[in-house]
Amino acid sequence: MKTFEYTITDPVGIHARPAGILVKKVKEFASTVTIAKGEKSVNALKLMALMGLGIKQGDKITVTVEGDDEEKAAAEIEAFLKANL
Amino acid sequence: MALDYRKCAEEIAANIGGGSNVISAAHCATRLRLVIADNSKLNKKALENVDGVKGMFESNGQLQLIIGTGTVNKVYDEFLAVTGVSAASKDDVKKAAASKMPLWKKILKTPGDIFVPILPAIVASGLMMGLVEALAKAIPSFASSGWFGFLDMVANTAFALLPVLVAVSAARVFGANVFLGAVIGLMMVHPALMNAWTVTPTNQPAVWVLGFLKISQVGYQGHVIPVILAVLLLAYVEKFLHKHVPEMIDLFVTPLVSVIVTAFATFVVIGPIFSVLENWVLSGATWLVTKTGGIGALIMGALYPFTVVMGLHHMYNVIEAGMLSSATLGLNIWMPIATAANFAQFGACLAVAIKCRDKKLKSVALPSSLSASLGITEPAIFGVNFRFMKPFIAGVIGGAVGALFGSLVHFTTSVDVYNTAGTLVYAAGSKVPLGATTYGVTGIPGLLAINNIPLYLILLLVSAGIAFAIATVIWKEDKKEEAVDDARMEGEEAKTVLPVATVIRCKNGSVLQPVEGTVISREAIPDATFSAGVLGDGVGIQPSAEVVFAPFDGTVSSVAESRHAVGLESNGMELLIHVGVDTVNMNGDGFTCLVKEGDEIKAGQPLIRFSREKIKAAGYSDTVAVLLTNSDDLEEVVCG
Repeated sequence: MKTFEYTITDPVGIHARPAGILVKKVKEFASTVTIAKGEKSVNALKLMALMGLGIKQGDKITVTVEGDDEEKAAAEIEAFLKANL
Repeated sequence: MALDYRKCAEEIAANIGGGSNVISAAHCATRLRLVIADNSKLNKKALENVDGVKGMFESNGQLQLIIGTGTVNKVYDEFLAVTGVSAASKDDVKKAAASKMPLWKKILKTPGDIFVPILPAIVASGLMMGLVEALAKAIPSFASSGWFGFLDMVANTAFALLPVLVAVSAARVFGANVFLGAVIGLMMVHPALMNAWTVTPTNQPAVWVLGFLKISQVGYQGHVIPVILAVLLLAYVEKFLHKHVPEMIDLFVTPLVSVIVTAFATFVVIGPIFSVLENWVLSGATWLVTKTGGIGALIMGALYPFTVVMGLHHMYNVIEAGMLSSATLGLNIWMPIATAANFAQFGACLAVAIKCRDKKLKSVALPSSLSASLGITEPAIFGVNFRFMKPFIAGVIGGAVGALFGSLVHFTTSVDVYNTAGTLVYAAGSKVPLGATTYGVTGIPGLLAINNIPLYLILLLVSAGIAFAIATVIWKEDKKEEAVDDARMEGEEAKTVLPVATVIRCKNGSVLQPVEGTVISREAIPDATFSAGVLGDGVGIQPSAEVVFAPFDGTVSSVAESRHAVGLESNGMELLIHVGVDTVNMNGDGFTCLVKEGDEIKAGQPLIRFSREKIKAAGYSDTVAVLLTNSDDLEEVVCG
C-alpha cells in the first residue's frame, strides 16, 4: 500500500473537468485508489463522490493506492496531480 | 427566421382535437398552457414536430407547449382566434395543478389564502376601531359627540360586514362565482336579521318556523368560519350544476339553485352548529376561569387564539357582562386573559415584522401587529401568525403565561368596587383581582378600563415579551420557498410538472430532460472533457430557460460550491448536471441552488436557477451537460 499527500494548488480545486480526467487516469490501473480529505475518504473511481468532497485550493488530500501496480499507479497519479491540480 | 404564428396555432389546434377539446387556454412567459378535455385526441408526435413548438410537457391535465418568450403570446392570440376558445388567466389553469396538495395542508392554507387579499380592509378597520374606542374611553365627551358616532360607523364597517369580504375572497379561492359569493356574504348580514353583536340573554332574536325547521333571525356579523364553509358549499354546488345542467338553462338554474341550497344549509345547519359550539366554548370558558383559579386562566389564555381562528370568540362578551353584574365578582376578570392572549399575538407578529427581510411580508406584519396591540388580532393571526404557525405557537405560550400572571395577581384596592347592579362587592382596603370595569377592549385601549395600570403594564410586557422572544428564536424566514415561488412567478412550472422528453435511458431507469431547450449530442458539447465522455455518456442542452429541474426521483449526492452543478443519484444512476462550460470560475454569481446535499428530490422539482445573461457576460457557453457519470457500469445506456 502506498500513501502520499498532496496540497491542491488549482484555484478552483477538484471540479468536474479535472475530476473526470483524474477518474480516467485512475481507471488505467488495477489498484484501488482512495482519496481522503480530512476524515472523509472516497473511492477515486466514483466521480460524484469525489466531487462531493468539495476539494478546494489549499486542501491537503491523502491518496492511498493499493494493488499489484501500486508503485506505478502512485507515481503517475502524483505526477498527474502536480501537473493538473 | 420568423415564426408563422398563425400556422403554428392552426397546427397545434389540429393536433389537439380542435378547440372543442380545450377546456381553457392560457400562457406564461414561455409556454402555452392548455387544459385538455379528452387526452386521447392528442396527436403528440405531430405536436412536437410543429414548427415553433420546442417541446411538450404534460401534467395534471395541463398540456404545456414550449413556444418561447416573445412568441408564445402571439401564437396564443392566433390560437384563440383559430379555435374560438376564450382567454383564461394563468391562475385558473394553475388551480387545477395546485389541487394536488395533501388535504391537511390545504385546510391550513385556506384561511390565509382567503384573508391575505382582504387584509388592507381589515387592518384599516381594526386600527380605526381601536383608536376610536380608546378615544371614547379617554374622553367621555368624545363618546357622545357626532365625531364618535360617525367615526365609529366608518371604523367598524369592515368588521361588522366582514362576512361579505370573507365571502368574496373565499369565492375566488374556491372557484365559486364571485358575485354569488357576495350574495351569500350579504345574506349573512342582511338588515332583516338581528345584528349578532346585540344578542344577549335578555335580547333574543325571533325565529322563522318552516314546517319542522326553525331558523333564528340572527345575522353573522363578525363571523368568519361559517362564511367560509358556506361559500365552500356554494362552490361545490355551483360546479356540480355547471357540469350537469344543460347549457341552455345553466344561466337561470345554476345561480338560483346554488344560492338557495347554500342559504338553507347555512341558516339551518352551519350557522346553528356554530352557535352551539360557541355556547360550549362559553360555558367551558366560564367554568375554567371562575372555578379553577390560575390553571384555568393559563389554559384559556392558551386556547383563546384558537377560538379566534375558529371564529368562536364572539360569545365572550356574555361572560364578561355576567362577571360585571355578579355579586361576588363585580369585575371583568376575563379581560386580562383575553388581553394576554391578544397582546401575545401582537408580540409574535411584531417579531416576524422585525425579523423578516421580505418587504411584502414586513408591510403586512407591521400594521397587523399594531392592530393586534389595539385588540383586533384577526389580521395578525390570519395574515401572519397562523400562516407561519410558529409565531402563532409563540403567541399561545406568551398568552398562556400572561394569563396565568393576570389571574394570580391581586392588590389592595383604594376604592370601593361595585357591580353593574349597584351592589358593593369589595370594600376599599380589601384584596381584589386584576380586572376591567367594562368589556369590549383589550390590549392598549384596555389601559382605560383596567383597575390597576402598573400590574396591567406588566401583564402586557410579559405576554408580548415572551411571545416576541420565542417567535424571534423559532421562526425562520423560508428563503428557499421564496426562491421557488419566484421561479413559479416567472412562468415556470409548479412543482408537480413532469418534463416528458427523455434524454437518457438505461436499464436502471430514465433521465428526463432537466432544462428547457434544444437537446444536442454529448459530442457537440463545447468542452473537450465533457464531449469526450470522460465524465460519462449523456447529452447537452442548449438552454432556452433558466431553471434546472430534477429529471427523476432520487437524492442530491453533491452540490458544487459555486452552485453551477449538482450530482444526483437515482436507483444506481449517478447523474451530473453541469450548467455551462468553465462556469465554476464564476464562483456562484448568477446561480441559485435550491437544494442541498442529501435532499430527496422528485422529478420536476426545481434544483438550480441560473442567469444565462450572466454566463454569457462572463464569456462562457451556457450549454448544460447532462452526464451519467457511471454510464460505463450501467447497461443498455441510450442517449439522446
